[in-house]
Amino acid sequence: MAIQFILCFNKQGVVRLVRYFERYQMDSQKTQDMIVQIYRLISSRDHRHQSNFVELSESTKLVYKRYAGLYFVMGIDLQDEESIYLSQIHLFVEVLDAFYGNVCELDIVFHFYRAYMVMDEMFLGGEIQEISKDLLLERFSILDRLD
Amino acid sequence: MAGSSLRSFIKDVRGAKTVAEERAIVTKASAKIRTKLRDDHLPLEKRRNNIQKLLYLYILGEKTHFGQVECINLIASDDFADKRLGYLAAMLLLDESQDLLTLLTNLLNNDLNHPNRFVVSLALTTLGFLSSSELARDLYPDVESILNTSKDPFLVKKALQCVAKLVMTDSSLLEIFQPQLLLSLLNNQSICTHGVLLSIAKVLQAALSGFSMHHKRVKENEPTADTTGILRQLLGAVPELLDLLQNLNVKNFEPEYDIQGTCDPFLQCELLYTLRLFFQVCFEFKITEIDQYSNKFNDLLTQIATNTDSGKNCGQAILYEATRTIFSLNLNQPSRVLGINILAQFLSGKDNNTKYVALSTLLKVVPQEPVAVQRHRKFISRCLRDPDVSIRSRALELAFAILNDVTMVELTEQLVEFLKNASDDDKNLIVYTVEYLVRAFEIHTSVDEKWKLETLITVLKLVGNVISAETVSNLLVFINNASCPQERCELVAEMLKLTLDDSKRSEISEHNVGWNLVTIWCVGEYGGEILGNKADAKISERSLTKYLVDQHAASDRNDNKIVHYLLTAALKLSAHVNDPGCNESLRQILVSRSRDADLMLQSKSVQYEIIFRQPLKVKKPILDSMPKFEKKIDAATQKPSKIASQSSASQPESSDLLDLLGEKQPSHSPQPQPSVAQSSTSVLSPTDLLADIFGSNGTNGKPSSDKDLSERNSSTLEVPAGSTKIHESAAAECYITLKSCGDGAAQMELYLKAKTNLQNVQTFCAVPKTQKLTLGQIQPGNTLVSHQVARQNLKVVGSGRLKLRVKLNFAADGNDSSEQFDHKFDQAL
Repeated sequence: MAIQFILCFNKQGVVRLVRYFERYQMDSQKTQDMIVQIYRLISSRDHRHQSNFVELSESTKLVYKRYAGLYFVMGIDLQDEESIYLSQIHLFVEVLDAFYGNVCELDIVFHFYRAYMVMDEMFLGGEIQEISKDLLLERFSILDRLD
Repeated sequence: MAGSSLRSFIKDVRGAKTVAEERAIVTKASAKIRTKLRDDHLPLEKRRNNIQKLLYLYILGEKTHFGQVECINLIASDDFADKRLGYLAAMLLLDESQDLLTLLTNLLNNDLNHPNRFVVSLALTTLGFLSSSELARDLYPDVESILNTSKDPFLVKKALQCVAKLVMTDSSLLEIFQPQLLLSLLNNQSICTHGVLLSIAKVLQAALSGFSMHHKRVKENEPTADTTGILRQLLGAVPELLDLLQNLNVKNFEPEYDIQGTCDPFLQCELLYTLRLFFQVCFEFKITEIDQYSNKFNDLLTQIATNTDSGKNCGQAILYEATRTIFSLNLNQPSRVLGINILAQFLSGKDNNTKYVALSTLLKVVPQEPVAVQRHRKFISRCLRDPDVSIRSRALELAFAILNDVTMVELTEQLVEFLKNASDDDKNLIVYTVEYLVRAFEIHTSVDEKWKLETLITVLKLVGNVISAETVSNLLVFINNASCPQERCELVAEMLKLTLDDSKRSEISEHNVGWNLVTIWCVGEYGGEILGNKADAKISERSLTKYLVDQHAASDRNDNKIVHYLLTAALKLSAHVNDPGCNESLRQILVSRSRDADLMLQSKSVQYEIIFRQPLKVKKPILDSMPKFEKKIDAATQKPSKIASQSSASQPESSDLLDLLGEKQPSHSPQPQPSVAQSSTSVLSPTDLLADIFGSNGTNGKPSSDKDLSERNSSTLEVPAGSTKIHESAAAECYITLKSCGDGAAQMELYLKAKTNLQNVQTFCAVPKTQKLTLGQIQPGNTLVSHQVARQNLKVVGSGRLKLRVKLNFAADGNDSSEQFDHKFDQAL
């Protein structure tokens, strides 16, 4: 019951955010191959007529959603249930949107470390830890002032 | 945090016009960062800058290992901005490098006790991310002290998540885990935000799922110890959790935690899962105190099932979790039916995600409540036509799972409809469908056979070009075993009419290999009967012969399968054809392969030609139609397996062996022994040749050397001295002799000594996956009188320790029974 990784890439397959929560099984070549595989798999799917879930391997399935030009993908265990993770993706994007103020791809590209901050306040070790937008935004405004 | 230098770097990379240009910029930057980081005198500001760029390179997928040491340096800094960047970089860049992890452990230890709560928060986030078992042991006390002292919900929440992670990684931490700490947090209203509650649920889950391991370990050291104390203490949380869940579920609107009109679905799901674990674990360890809550939990589940809005994604997540709970605790029947009805309601909707989840869940629960699922078969069949392939495949699996005598006709119509509309992309699904349809027809015998045969022919017509040779074999067995020869004959005649009639020819593609194979086989097998019936003017000696000749001329050089079928059909048909011209054409087919490069074909051709030359009264009985083919239906294969079969690598080897036994094609399947065999063994062994066509893996269990044949007739075998006894039961003793072993191959002989009269003796053997087994036939035969000995040759090739699992099936005094045993040899390959 934990997220294996969170991935965000654009329509061309250029990665914008990536975080593995089970990094000890990963080596860099394999992860790159996996990302390419995920991109091919997801970008080839019909987004109007197909579900937001797809099996990737014998241990992982993907839950994903496209927001404008960006795909947000979570890798989860096969026995886990997809819907709740889809809700988590949606919440994550909503929080990013509120935090950046109408977020777009460029915001994430140039301020990727801020996006990671949002991720780290929402997820810990692959588990969701906070869902209140108000609390999160308040927290970010404090964290932003700390530098 | 970001300097202008990072910004311009990102701009440069983005500004690259070509891939080559981008590569050049990236490589250059990477080399530059590498040199800069090596410079000890680089000012801090610059170091930070370089690490930021490195992180961007990491996101782009570049190699970044050279930045790892710098992460540690940044974390060690006193400046918060450095620390923050350092921890972020550590989480992204660090790999298994042990030295750095040790350094990091020390730094984390310091920072967990840091006076600045934001530093502590960073350290906790990183710990939760890294949680290896060494870290778990070393740092657990620090995390616990945060729980004891901190009043900051943010820190408490993170610390709890860390505890959950650490306990997950190392369940021995339960020895020092303090349940009362958790309970006091749960009762402390001032600190219990939803985030904290969420993490309390996580800790409970970790403790509950780690408990049985913890229990086992303690029992090993101290058999008398009572470990359940911790469970009993944790139970104190249950009433609180139940109340929480109930309140959340009835709450209509709470702006802060509202997600699409549902109040905190995340917490609701986690609570449901936690409670489910409570009941499961307590049941397993017989903690009866939990029983007092079961009624309440039952009611609550019903309430959730009825109250939750199923229209939205997160409502569905809750309903799914509730259904899963109902079924994994196997609650009473009304609840289970309620659960199924909820899922079926999902199926009726338009949203693909909903359908996907509902089908997946129904698949899991269908064994517990098949009838309730059957009631919703309309929706399931509708999903067979869904544009999403993953939905179609799940719907197929589900359709087969609810297929029985009652639903067969209706569902099969839907399946045929599915095959009609299937596209080339659906190849796997088609193969799956046909395979399981044939199997289902074999199992459910009460349904009208004629209808089944007709259906199969329709299926063949539709998708004969994609189905596997093995499925064709199974289909032929089914036709062969039909109980009413008259009906079968009419049906085959229909098939032939379609094939032979030029005007209808277009209905069937000439690339329909499956159709061709079946037709060729039927011409040989039932040609005589059909000619005798004179059913249709189109079917005559000439037309059938011409068909075979045409097929032979058209046969692909690379596909020997069809030629094997053709040779057999030509030989068999020749026994029923009087026209000398036709006979000669058939002979031409036979001899055409007598110099074939393929040894199997060549010998078949030569041997068939010998039979062909025999006088009709010898030939007729040899070429008589096949007897009923007894096919063993394994209990394990009756249930449809998952389409995408998921092998789990972590399973113990013994189950690998079991897998082998459960396979559809046993290493040794009983060959039909028609009565004609005895009379003609002296000339040749036509049984083997004809039976060939049934066995799709033609290499298994078919000795045909002269030596074997002569030995088959000798009936007195003795167990040789020096054999190892590997099994003994009331019915039989089993011995094994290792004849040779080495160079990756071993020869063995298995001896079976009957203690009473045994009939239908079958042996199924399996070896580990690294090895391959070839089984000889049981000699002298599969019927043994008391004290008679049977022998079977085994040949194993491959590598690894020699191991054998043997399953014996036999009938003793009219009762079928089976015995299974394993034997490990000292030798290895």
